[in-house]
Amino acid sequence: MQLTINGEIYEVAESPPRVLLWVLRDELGLTGTKYGCGAGICGSCTVHIDGEAVRSCITPVTDVVGKELTTIEGMARVTGDGSWQLHPVQQAFMDEQTPQCSWCMSGQMMTAAAFLAKNPNPTEDEIVEAMGENYCRCATYVRIKRAVAKAATLLQEEAS
Amino acid sequence: MSTAKVNKESKKRRWRVSRRGFLIGLGATGVGLALGVRFGVPAFRLQVAGMFAGENTMGGIEAPPNLWFEIGADNKVVMYMPKVEMGQGVHTALAQIAAEELEVAWEQVEVRQAPTDHGWGNDGGTAGSTSVSGLYGPLREAGATMRQMLLSAAAGQLGVAVSGLEAKEGAVYKRGESEPSLSYGEIAANVDSWEVPEEAPALKSVADFHTIGQAKGRVDFASKLTGEAIYGYDMRLPGMLYGAVARPPSWGSRLVKADVGTANEVDGVEMVVLEDGWAGVVATSRAAAQTAIRRLDLSWEEDIFQQEDIDEIVQVGNGRGVVIQKEGDVKAAFEAEDSYIAEYSSPVAVHAHLEGQAALVDVQADKVKAWVSTQFPSNTANAIAEFLGREPETVVVQGTYLGGGFGRKEGADVALEAARLSAKVGKPVHVGWTRTEEMRYGYFRPPTRHVMRGRVAADGKLLAMEHQQVSGPVAFGFVPKAMELVLGADFGAWRGAMIPYAIADKRTMTWLVELPFRTGWWRGLGLLANVFAVESFVDELAHQEGIDPLTLRLNNLPEGELGERYRRALEAVAEGVKWAEGPPAGRGRGLAICVDANTVVAMVADVAIVDNQIKVERIVTSVDPGLVINPDGCKAQTEGGILMGLSSTLFEEIRFKDGQAEAGNFDSYPLLTMKETPDVEVLLLSSGDRPFGMGEPPMGPVAAAVANAVFDLTGQRLRHLPLRL
Repeated sequence: MQLTINGEIYEVAESPPRVLLWVLRDELGLTGTKYGCGAGICGSCTVHIDGEAVRSCITPVTDVVGKELTTIEGMARVTGDGSWQLHPVQQAFMDEQTPQCSWCMSGQMMTAAAFLAKNPNPTEDEIVEAMGENYCRCATYVRIKRAVAKAATLLQEEAS
Repeated sequence: MSTAKVNKESKKRRWRVSRRGFLIGLGATGVGLALGVRFGVPAFRLQVAGMFAGENTMGGIEAPPNLWFEIGADNKVVMYMPKVEMGQGVHTALAQIAAEELEVAWEQVEVRQAPTDHGWGNDGGTAGSTSVSGLYGPLREAGATMRQMLLSAAAGQLGVAVSGLEAKEGAVYKRGESEPSLSYGEIAANVDSWEVPEEAPALKSVADFHTIGQAKGRVDFASKLTGEAIYGYDMRLPGMLYGAVARPPSWGSRLVKADVGTANEVDGVEMVVLEDGWAGVVATSRAAAQTAIRRLDLSWEEDIFQQEDIDEIVQVGNGRGVVIQKEGDVKAAFEAEDSYIAEYSSPVAVHAHLEGQAALVDVQADKVKAWVSTQFPSNTANAIAEFLGREPETVVVQGTYLGGGFGRKEGADVALEAARLSAKVGKPVHVGWTRTEEMRYGYFRPPTRHVMRGRVAADGKLLAMEHQQVSGPVAFGFVPKAMELVLGADFGAWRGAMIPYAIADKRTMTWLVELPFRTGWWRGLGLLANVFAVESFVDELAHQEGIDPLTLRLNNLPEGELGERYRRALEAVAEGVKWAEGPPAGRGRGLAICVDANTVVAMVADVAIVDNQIKVERIVTSVDPGLVINPDGCKAQTEGGILMGLSSTLFEEIRFKDGQAEAGNFDSYPLLTMKETPDVEVLLLSSGDRPFGMGEPPMGPVAAAVANAVFDLTGQRLRHLPLRL
């Protein structure tokens, strides 16, 4: 069967039944999506499926056939002159020097990007609510909150 | 890239850069320093090696350097670092120190993790908040030496005296000229003979620093934020397989009978390994390996225990007691007058680094290559060599980025599992622990209990104080047995336990008990629990006599320079929260302070009670880490340390049932999230001309500050972690 990931087509086996996370990481080598708990609790494995933030560690791979997947590897964009440009969410996380070990950060940024796409002008409470289910053991929460607010600003600037 | 080993020839021109003790108590460790330089093609290599007092800790093998810089013809400076990047920003901080004396532009610098075949025989591990403080001197000396050598070479090439030249931003200038004469890369490309300075060049004064002290951006973020950075769990090789290992139903279980069962029927299984009380599976996917493990037919002989058994063991007076601090005579002081006694405790905890242990090991006929998410690459290489019966120099460990370490990745367990399976199957094998494995089968933060006793005068003078604490092992079990005898007490267990205040009669005694499960390093070691006890108790004494807790601390400051640093930190945090005005309505306010790895941390927490739960609203912290290398990095470590400590303060606890940790994932061991994150403000104080530790100290005062705030608000004294009303 075929999966569409970051705009590319990947051929993967239909069986045995398995979750998306390990197909991405171990079969396709897209290791930017991380394993943290395997139970959908920590959020390290978050990817976008048709723009929705989804936990790939509990998502059967057969569920995503025919859908658009985006992983952290597909977040940065190619600009007109062919160079790479960080997504505004990545840029904001960079500007705020947010990560420490960064194992959770793909999931944090994918969660933030999906949230901001729906709520481009969030309050602080809304950011906390949206990001409140993603663990960061280095506990960079102060900066994640700041980075998501900054990303909202960058996205608004880009849109206007 | 060839190995930068120190051979007999190079020993003749060896120049001792520096040496430093590492991980006090770990004994025969040190920092050797080498500065190998490769200049373009054909490669030219120069080595300047400073070794560990002529000793050889590697059993007859010449210890290679642990760190070196390379300048290419493209004028890039590649710095190979012996310390691993696990989130603490150490690659950035170390590069800043080296770049300062080397006089290179920040943009020229690239940092890579040194593999063990390039590295010193003992990298000392990345632990104990010692990387920056330990390498500060050696890195500067190495950088300055290399700069001096480049200047000398340039003088020859330009036909001018060295005194007429200066180095800046990776180039050599004739004094007074605004355009560079030669870049470092150009100089390097045209040298076939290098002069090593007889003596170490003069180092810059703090006032002249342009890179140290700046908030340079982290060198590892570009790859991390795009998902390109490779961690141990991400390592892949063509033809690799995946391993899984059978785990016991309880601690103390022994595998008495193992049969393959139906494991071989699982699709993708390549090999079942049953040997000597151990069972593992190699398969073409992780899922297949893990499924097959469950299909093995295993019989265990169990030796179970319950939580109550642990609680009974962890009591002051059990095990071996050692006095680690003694001034005056507390016994006489407590006999003379009534004293106040309180007892505190902290539970077992796990590290919960989000990247589980992971290693990819490729055991070949004549060599072993391993990529490991480890805090201690050299130790891992030695452990693999010993386990497989190989010569240590045939084992190369490449440390990767770590998805958190927090002390847990000091161990070599997962690398040995992968090595064992790879040796059997003859192909590279990756083993990555699952969350459940991380919760149950590693080593834990040990449980502690603390009996505090003290007397305070009506005027707020502390008259006598005693801290008796009991803990499971932290360092013991990792250091050689002989070292345990030399040390007497487990320095990990008593970290943060001593009473810092100037008190005529004071004593600290530590008791070490054996537990039926493995305990060890955890960020800060005993720091969080010990400071919780000492600083909660000081607060209790203040309230006994109705004295303001800040005043009490200021009235009993430690002696000497530390006392002055305490005063400064206390005054800074008091000013930061406007202590005299008290907390906002409906909130309680608590203060605590500690010194750890020479860094002083003072903290004020404001709490509220919401739905009968403790809600921490705000934490203000002053931190004095000595000389600040990177202010933003120091702030980041402070924020993270506080909040990881807060997670332990409010939530984290492992309890045992039938010999097994009850928690198997985050549903039963929740961590702090953004929802419980208070406002955090960091007041960074810089002092002196040497940097101290940053990775662990900020965690120290958190639990005490919050407990003291809860008392301030409710009058309820919480003496057991996690704090529950």
